[in-house]
Amino acid sequence: MTSIGLFYLVLVAALYAFFYRRSAERTVQSLRTAGKALQTMAPLFVGIFGLIGLFEVFVPPQLIERWLGATSGFTSLLIGGAIGAVALGPPAAAFPLAGSFLQAGAWPPAVATFIVCWVSVGVVSLPVEAHVFGWRFALARNSITFVVALLIGLIVGSLA
Amino acid sequence: MSGLFSTLWSWLRKQGLLMMTALLYLWAFAVDPQRARLALAAGGHTLLSVAVLILAVMGLVGLVQVWTNRDAIAGLLGKGSGVRALLLAALCGTLVIGPPYLIFPLLMSIRRQGARWAVIGAVLGAYAVKLPMIPLEIGFLGWRFSVIRSLLTILFSIPIGLMVEWVMERGEKMRLLQKP
Repeated sequence: MTSIGLFYLVLVAALYAFFYRRSAERTVQSLRTAGKALQTMAPLFVGIFGLIGLFEVFVPPQLIERWLGATSGFTSLLIGGAIGAVALGPPAAAFPLAGSFLQAGAWPPAVATFIVCWVSVGVVSLPVEAHVFGWRFALARNSITFVVALLIGLIVGSLA
Repeated sequence: MSGLFSTLWSWLRKQGLLMMTALLYLWAFAVDPQRARLALAAGGHTLLSVAVLILAVMGLVGLVQVWTNRDAIAGLLGKGSGVRALLLAALCGTLVIGPPYLIFPLLMSIRRQGARWAVIGAVLGAYAVKLPMIPLEIGFLGWRFSVIRSLLTILFSIPIGLMVEWVMERGEKMRLLQKP
């Protein structure tokens, strides 16, 4: 994956060079924003990858297969969605976790549902959402999105 | 003293995940030090293998955050109401980066400016796709999975918005009926 990373790094560097010619000031600001984002994310990434290590060594694949595997069918879809809905974390952290689920033998539809729910359904942020938009909106949006996430998961599974 | 505690508390709350992982490792080293070391090595190896990719993606996030103007997007979304506004909402949702406590109030201000509930719902539906982070998703899950999931999420954000709007309008109608 390092070569893919290098490829993207070169691409992003080229983008920076392009934008630098349009506005040096804003591009430096972009770099600063990126640095700040990296700084706040760094402890989080260390936490997530530490967790993934534990996960790979201590959680037996049979367990993942039982809870998120294809044989459990719809139940694994619901469990994937529920984990995503309850979990609290930035989207960037969802991808490595989802990757280790897949490697451990999870059903792809359950993993896709997990990702969509991770970002779009927030049980923990529900009070905040209700405070801003009202409870009716927060409950309707989160439950509708949860159901659609199951659907998206199923379609991803049949296409990917 | 209470100031110190609240600073410590807010830091711990922000680093909840790191704390949890550290505690789990303490437990792991107490129970089975050999496998705990293996876990640490596996995690470190994965982190190193994607470190460059994370660096690149964060660079992209910085560019998107500075060069796309959140207020300009808000103004754009507040105006239209047809299919084009919904498509635009889905597209904008993929570009909006930021924690929910920043995004929610921004969207509510668009709503107050006259945007449809469907537009707000569609932005939040497409929010599950992070355009600048797609390289990261592809790195971990493969391009086929990532592209199909992202496209479907964008596609479904519009029906999500419309359904949320239907629920909201029903609620408003009921309230009007109840009022004498």
